[in-house]
Amino acid sequence: MTANTPFIEALRRIEVPGWLASERGAALDRFLATGMPSARLEDWKHTSLAALERRVWHSSTSVAGEAVCPDIASYPGHALVFQNGQLHCHGIYLANQIAGTLLDLANTQAVHQYLGQVADDTALANLNLALWQDGAHVYVPAGDHITLPIFTLFGAAEAEAMLYPRTLAVLEHGAEAILVEHFLGQTGQPYWQNAVTEIVLEDGAHLTHLKVIEEGAAATHTSLTAVRLGRDSEYRALHIGLDGALARHEIRVHMAGPGATTRIDAFDLADGHRHADLHLRINHRAPSGTSRVTYRGLAKGRGRAVFDGHVVVDRAAPKIDARQSCRGLLLSPQAEIDAMPRLEIYADDVKCGHGASIGNLDREALFYLQSRGIDLALARQLLMQGFANEALGLLDHTHLRNWLMPRLIAAMARRTLMEPTP
Amino acid sequence: MLEIKDLHVSVDDKAILKGIDLTVKPGEIHAIMGPNGSGKSTLAQVLAGREGYRVTQGSLRYLDSDLPPFSPEARARAGIFLAFQYPIEIPGVANAQFLRSALNSQRGYRGEPELDAFDFLEFVKGRLAMLEIDDSFLYRSLNEGFSGGEKKRNEILQMAVLEPRLAILDETDSGLDIDALKVVARGVNALRAPDRAIILVTHYQRLLEYIVPDRVHVLAEGRIVRSGDRDLALELEAKGYGWLNLRNNCEEPFIP
Ligand SMILES: Nc1ncnc2c1ncn2[C@@H]1O[C@H](COP(=O)(O)OP(=O)(O)O)[C@@H](O)[C@H]1O
Ligand SMILES: [Mg+2]
Repeated sequence: MTANTPFIEALRRIEVPGWLASERGAALDRFLATGMPSARLEDWKHTSLAALERRVWHSSTSVAGEAVCPDIASYPGHALVFQNGQLHCHGIYLANQIAGTLLDLANTQAVHQYLGQVADDTALANLNLALWQDGAHVYVPAGDHITLPIFTLFGAAEAEAMLYPRTLAVLEHGAEAILVEHFLGQTGQPYWQNAVTEIVLEDGAHLTHLKVIEEGAAATHTSLTAVRLGRDSEYRALHIGLDGALARHEIRVHMAGPGATTRIDAFDLADGHRHADLHLRINHRAPSGTSRVTYRGLAKGRGRAVFDGHVVVDRAAPKIDARQSCRGLLLSPQAEIDAMPRLEIYADDVKCGHGASIGNLDREALFYLQSRGIDLALARQLLMQGFANEALGLLDHTHLRNWLMPRLIAAMARRTLMEPTP
Repeated sequence: MLEIKDLHVSVDDKAILKGIDLTVKPGEIHAIMGPNGSGKSTLAQVLAGREGYRVTQGSLRYLDSDLPPFSPEARARAGIFLAFQYPIEIPGVANAQFLRSALNSQRGYRGEPELDAFDFLEFVKGRLAMLEIDDSFLYRSLNEGFSGGEKKRNEILQMAVLEPRLAILDETDSGLDIDALKVVARGVNALRAPDRAIILVTHYQRLLEYIVPDRVHVLAEGRIVRSGDRDLALELEAKGYGWLNLRNNCEEPFIP
């Protein structure tokens, strides 16, 4: 058995319609030609998948194990719940055909047109294309405004399982929607979710996209979000990374149409031994676009947060306005934050800027809070929340603050073995 | 209520307070005046329990306990409140959330039930109305982007919400226009009670037109060099600190 055997085995066992079979085979061949991303690649310098390669993975067999997301009613919107790669239960979706499983809807025009076309040709995206079993398809016809959020939950409850959640969201002209992807799983089980989300925004479409990574503490999460923006369309994203031993999320935004807007806010929490990596690549390919990035990374214990914010402005994209703000908060001497905002500009007449800073909790601020009767532990909590809050503005736009904040606060208050009480 | 005897305090091994004696009884208002750099803020911060401010000699007693071993939050829960000369900006923490956390921390300590968001809002709105401060204060980040005057008003709001037994106002009146000054005066006068005491650190006698102190002290070079009744403040205003024959006190001219 070679390192590649599990992947080849996994593909052999998937039953798929014919037109997908050749796509999958080709994708697997591309993956096998490159192998797993190695630390020698510039893009993977800070995140090693070596631990992943030491395990023997198998593709999941059933919706086995305990349900990881039993309370579907706690999701304030439409909900599609996948467990171990397959549809487990669903909320109030489907009636209007706005969201369904990718497998059920595979033979629609939007899927034929876009599946695998938006995601970049990376090793892990190829692997997902070869091995996905099910996923979500969100399709919003021209002019439709879906006000309730559409939740897709990807839960895992099988040790040593490799899972390939796949999502395709297509918003036609002027359509609007809110998509919330929630990744979670059983604590203590080492599993690997390697997800790909493709998003197509036609001219004038608006999508708000939340991605919450709350994998089990022993899990690995790797994912790619690939977005293609048409003229005057808008993509607003909020990435929240709270749990999982290792999480690496790449967001690649292709600003293909003129006048498009991208806003990416992100908060990553790296505590215990957690490794949280967010890689952005925003490519301005057309004139007059706007992009805004706000990253807040918090590292404590022996955690490590990595942020790579890479903005590329093509020659064909004058008059764009691109800004990044990234800040890190380091709460322990063993924690580490690497923040790398980068600009690569080939056009004239552009407005660009970025700033990065890494700091500790402000002692003066702690004293100020304590002097009001707030104990040190709560004072630290408040300052951490305040720090994260700077990246959480989209929660108000989507009315999801009440849904998310308890999770975020619990994660920030979590104390791991590595962390002595202050 | 507060009994300070021969208090010496060092910051970074530099002696700042060099033998302060001060007794404040329940119901009293004391004003502490003095040139810049004389140690007024140091005294205020030492009372609030700021780390790094070391008591090297003398004693500091509050309600029959020695203060130095207590943490800042323990002191606050025992009723000590310091209105900071330079309030800290805390982005991302809403004023309302901060005030509620502070109030509930103190209530919890006293064994009183915590106020839920609704009851708290009702309570705090009463305080805002009393002080004539706009409700919008609650929803802004704590002091972030506040003007100097707004920060001082916010200190007074915190004082009105927390209802301390010993309030120390460190130059809360500096740089205020007359309206803001009235907010301060309203806050202090509303707090005034037979079982409470207030220490006003001030540069100017202006505030003392609205709040009549029982005692006035002049602090210079880490010592109280003169104490008297409110006439001392008027005399200082008329004659300046030079009149006290202080050495080396003219870092800043006294402008009434
Ligand atoms: N954190 C500090 N470290 C060192 N010296 C300080 C510190 N804070 C104040 N001082 C010094 O202590 C003296 C008294 O300062 P302060 O108490 O702020 O005076 P006041 O409030 O009367 O203007 C000044 O000489 C000042 O420079
Ligand atoms: Mg001062």
